[in-house]
Amino acid sequence: MTPSYRIGIDVGGTFTDIVGIDQEGAMTFLKTPTTPENQALGVVDGIAKLAARLGLSQDELLRKTTRIVHGTTVATNALLERKGARIALLTTAGHRDVLEMREGLKLDRYDLRSPPPEPLVPRERRLPIAERLRADGSVSMPLEKASLIQTARKLKEEGVEGIAVCYFHAYRNDRHEKETFDYLRKELPNAYVSLSSEVLPQIKEYERVSTTVVNAYVGPGVRAYFADLERKLTKAGYTGTLYIILSHGGVAPIEEASRLAAATVLSGPAGGVAGCRHAALITGNLNLIPFDMGGTSTDISLIAAGEAALSSNRGLAGQRIALRSLDIISIGAGGGSIARAEGGALDVGPQSAGALPGPVCYGTKGTEPTVTDANVVLGRLAADRPLPGRGPLDRAAAERALDALAAKLGLTRERTAEGIVEVINVKMADGIRLATVSRGVDPRDYALFSFGGAAGLHACDLARGLDISRIIVPNFASVLSAWGMLSTPLRYEVSRTHIGDTRGLGAKDLRALYDELAKAATRKITGKTPGEIRIQRSAEMRYGEQIYEIDVPLDHLEWEAPDLMDQVTDAFRRRHEALFTYSLPDQDIVLVNARVAATSATDVLPDLPKSTATGSDAAPHRRRIHLGSWREVPAYPMDALVPDQKIEGPALIEADTTTVLLKEGDRALVNRWGWLDIAVASR
Amino acid sequence: MGVQETNTAPSTANVRRKLDPITQTVIRHRLSSISAEMGEAMLRTSYSQILNSSRDFSVAICDDQCRLIAQADHIPVHVGALPWALKSAKEAFPEAQKGDVILLNDPYYGGSHLPDITALIPVFHSGRRLLWTIVRAHQSDIGGATHGAYNPAATEIWQEGLRIPPILLYERGRLRADILEMLAINVRHARDFRGDLAAMVGAAHLGERSLERLCDEFGASLVEEAIEAVLDAAEARSRAIVESWADGVYTGEAMLDDDGRGREDIHIRAKVTKRGREIEVDLSASDPQTTSFVNSSHANMQSAVAMAFAFLVDADIPKNAGTFRPLSVVAKPGTLVWATDNAPVTLCTSHPSNEIIEAIVKAMAPACPERVMGGWGRRFRLAIKGHDARRNRSFIWHMFHARPGGGASAGGEGWSSIGEWHSAGGIKFGSIEVDEARFPLLFRKHEFRLGSGGAGRFPGGMGVELELEVEAEGLINTAGDGARHGAAGMLGGKDGLPHSYRILRADGSSRVLKTKEIGIEIGPGDLIDVRSGGGGGWGEPPRPAAQTTAAKGAAR
Repeated sequence: MTPSYRIGIDVGGTFTDIVGIDQEGAMTFLKTPTTPENQALGVVDGIAKLAARLGLSQDELLRKTTRIVHGTTVATNALLERKGARIALLTTAGHRDVLEMREGLKLDRYDLRSPPPEPLVPRERRLPIAERLRADGSVSMPLEKASLIQTARKLKEEGVEGIAVCYFHAYRNDRHEKETFDYLRKELPNAYVSLSSEVLPQIKEYERVSTTVVNAYVGPGVRAYFADLERKLTKAGYTGTLYIILSHGGVAPIEEASRLAAATVLSGPAGGVAGCRHAALITGNLNLIPFDMGGTSTDISLIAAGEAALSSNRGLAGQRIALRSLDIISIGAGGGSIARAEGGALDVGPQSAGALPGPVCYGTKGTEPTVTDANVVLGRLAADRPLPGRGPLDRAAAERALDALAAKLGLTRERTAEGIVEVINVKMADGIRLATVSRGVDPRDYALFSFGGAAGLHACDLARGLDISRIIVPNFASVLSAWGMLSTPLRYEVSRTHIGDTRGLGAKDLRALYDELAKAATRKITGKTPGEIRIQRSAEMRYGEQIYEIDVPLDHLEWEAPDLMDQVTDAFRRRHEALFTYSLPDQDIVLVNARVAATSATDVLPDLPKSTATGSDAAPHRRRIHLGSWREVPAYPMDALVPDQKIEGPALIEADTTTVLLKEGDRALVNRWGWLDIAVASR
Repeated sequence: MGVQETNTAPSTANVRRKLDPITQTVIRHRLSSISAEMGEAMLRTSYSQILNSSRDFSVAICDDQCRLIAQADHIPVHVGALPWALKSAKEAFPEAQKGDVILLNDPYYGGSHLPDITALIPVFHSGRRLLWTIVRAHQSDIGGATHGAYNPAATEIWQEGLRIPPILLYERGRLRADILEMLAINVRHARDFRGDLAAMVGAAHLGERSLERLCDEFGASLVEEAIEAVLDAAEARSRAIVESWADGVYTGEAMLDDDGRGREDIHIRAKVTKRGREIEVDLSASDPQTTSFVNSSHANMQSAVAMAFAFLVDADIPKNAGTFRPLSVVAKPGTLVWATDNAPVTLCTSHPSNEIIEAIVKAMAPACPERVMGGWGRRFRLAIKGHDARRNRSFIWHMFHARPGGGASAGGEGWSSIGEWHSAGGIKFGSIEVDEARFPLLFRKHEFRLGSGGAGRFPGGMGVELELEVEAEGLINTAGDGARHGAAGMLGGKDGLPHSYRILRADGSSRVLKTKEIGIEIGPGDLIDVRSGGGGGWGEPPRPAAQTTAAKGAAR
């Protein structure tokens, strides 16, 4: 059999990670510098390096590649840096300001001195169109052609690159938006036109308009980037489809991702969560809390019963994006979090030294002690082992910075350093507790999946604080994202707003609605994947007077049975009870959105290769570290650990990109791939 | 988790003996995390829309001396009010036991106004009563003469709803089912009421459990020591800010339009004495109380003063008793801000709360010009009750749309369509599409009201123009203020435009909607024309020649 490859590419802020996996599961990975001005250059360069590593020419590698999956931050950066396209918004006359009103909400209720945020489209480019639909989709006022003609003229004068169109009740009837699209395409053929009825065909105007506007804002840049990347890859010999990982953790071909550009804003972190999800499946730990602690922030998400938690309640850079996306919560705590004395007490973060000036021990102009400096002072992070891309760490400088803080607090250097670690752990534990409690989940039923450079030193104490008894640490955390992308099956989701009392809905209507959606989803995926297609049905439902819908999976129902509607309402009541501890038997139930997802069922990644480490030169170093007192502990190189090897705390396990600290009573078992499976001592 | 002071024990030991700067911070984070957790539980489990969407509830942890220890940031209007409820609960039940749940709503027993019910649970550790968890939530109905408690016609509190002095809902863990039944039968939506009450008690219990665990882990006395340190630290920060303001005696006033019964221009007068690290707010010169529901209860007045102070110090300062130590309050019973003799008070959490805050902020303008802000808009409620022929059902719709504008500040222009002083962007208006799908309503227009923000170096935020068609027969009730007096401009900034609500009849006639009316008929073809007020400007507006920022709000 001739070898074939899949390639995963994750573009980060500093490095682009490239993973190639052959049909046997053998994995090759490397890092190459990210090229921020055009990410495609770094991507193509990385593929060339991968080919060289495999002893192939770039052309040979690409011809043998069956799939490329790519995670990008083009849309993310455009939003964060406010460098998206110059756009306009066409709205139903009388409702120009939905975007800027933000439903009347302001995040900090006590901050009355900050001015309002600038909307992505200023009022002068929010243009009213004479038209109006009613809630049932009927036409109250037909679309006035004259208003469209006049507006198109203004759009040309303004020189817009993108146009968002969002009319009232277009989720119910897209006729006016479609007519607008057809006209704009003739008049402004180069503009990126984004219709709310395509981007998010769902009731609630603020969420729909904001999401459609974000789509138009990032769309032109994303489309140009993908087109350029595809051109470069084709030229280099690739003939397959280029897939993009989307914010919801699924992948889609680039035409789709270009059209739904707003769905790529979490493309970067989505790979990591996809990797965690795959890790949950292959380790058999279906309930995981991915814990990704980096330099400035810590990302926390949730894998429950093998599925990543999704939310429609997300946004980025203050912009509401109501597309379903992975529910990743970011806490302002990381290795770079700065410690300070405030009113005689110690506090840490949320201010961060970031990469620049960086922790004091980096020797890059940082002067304030950080969590990383505390770990260096305590000897837990070995100063003689360089971090990726840096020289040795300056332990003496870190000690000086700690001493200055310790003097203000009246504590010893070591106690101050331990305090910094303790406070940051409490902050992260609070974050995890809130993230899980607000999802109706008890963290004690979960294992912690620890990755990201700074995570390993904190994972055991953090788990202990949350009464979590198990931690899993993979041995290739740094390329987890790129690997995760390749583990993701193709998935398409279609939805329709129904909004109706379930009592007025018959089994026949419901079947017809879902059959139609299933056909639409199947059509999208057909021909893009070998093998079987799996259909998943779900509904967003609520009680009549509630305002938050809950997701109700409907796959287990007997769809042909005459009592289908009773089964649906029953499924809703049971889900409501599970989430909120009660249900209300006599209340009307409303089905708001019907959803169908089509997934390729057979498209799975080959198993990971077994660890081949023999542990021959495995007499561990001894390191002197502070754990309440100074003591010597063994330090094991992670890549020399042998499957089934047991390590008792206190000990350090050191990898290129992370160090894991086991305390007294913590026990690590090395699994067949060389990952750590840690049993955490109780407090 | 934890580290000990000695050199010998491993750092996973869980016994601590001495408070150090680290333990103090750890306990502070845990306390605020526990109050946040209680708030999350409340949000997730409450049933009525006013709680789970509009978030009109508060949770707090107090100690046994009735000091506020931690409070989750929900609606500012409750910020200083909860300790007063606890004082009243403790007077009624000085021997409150583990498992007791005390309930109250009465404004003459530590409550703010009748729709706000407060549940209080004592937390015990090592045989001592150390702390209390408190949940207050606005009920969608509390009985009385009108639906939803806002009754402009009330002249005594009994016409506003059910009065609950401190009572035991649970006694040593046992529900007093007959009491619950008596409460539930007196409100219009018994099912919502029971559901929301269960959510409140559940959230308070969750807090109790977490606090017990915190005391298990650190020991009760260390937790108490940490609390003292946390309050002292907040006090130090708060006093340092107060110290930076210019000393002096300052006065400010604000006016309510009327009491709905013929009395107009009702004054709230604040005299603020700032000396060193102390600040005294004296409201004694405010007008006498009225015969209608615009009076304030004592707890609500205290809360409004605390809110004004919280707006003037730093936004991220913890809301606890330490922060408020520099502040003292003087007021006179029988005035509008401290009603007596069973006068009605339901409107007080909006009016006169808004006017109390504005009078204080206005007074402080010369003392700390960079910290004061232009006035925020007033509340003008509107509810429609009617029959929807198309869906063949009756309906009640509360208007949360057409939010007024916020005030400008040294930080820049005011927020548009954001709400009043007392909600400050904390209340969400619902989706118009959802309302059109559920009610016989058509929103012809809902856009910024241009030119409504007061001019200034930074202009106030804009209110909203709403044109609403009601496609059914119905009756309108209103409750609010601010149709004559707009939000105040600050330091030379101009006032925002006041509210203007009208009904444009199908027959071409029109009628002004007043702020305190009931039973106005509305029918198909009529249009409700709402123009909500703008926020106050900050600083002298630039002269016409140099018209830049000020023109922005008006020109858009």
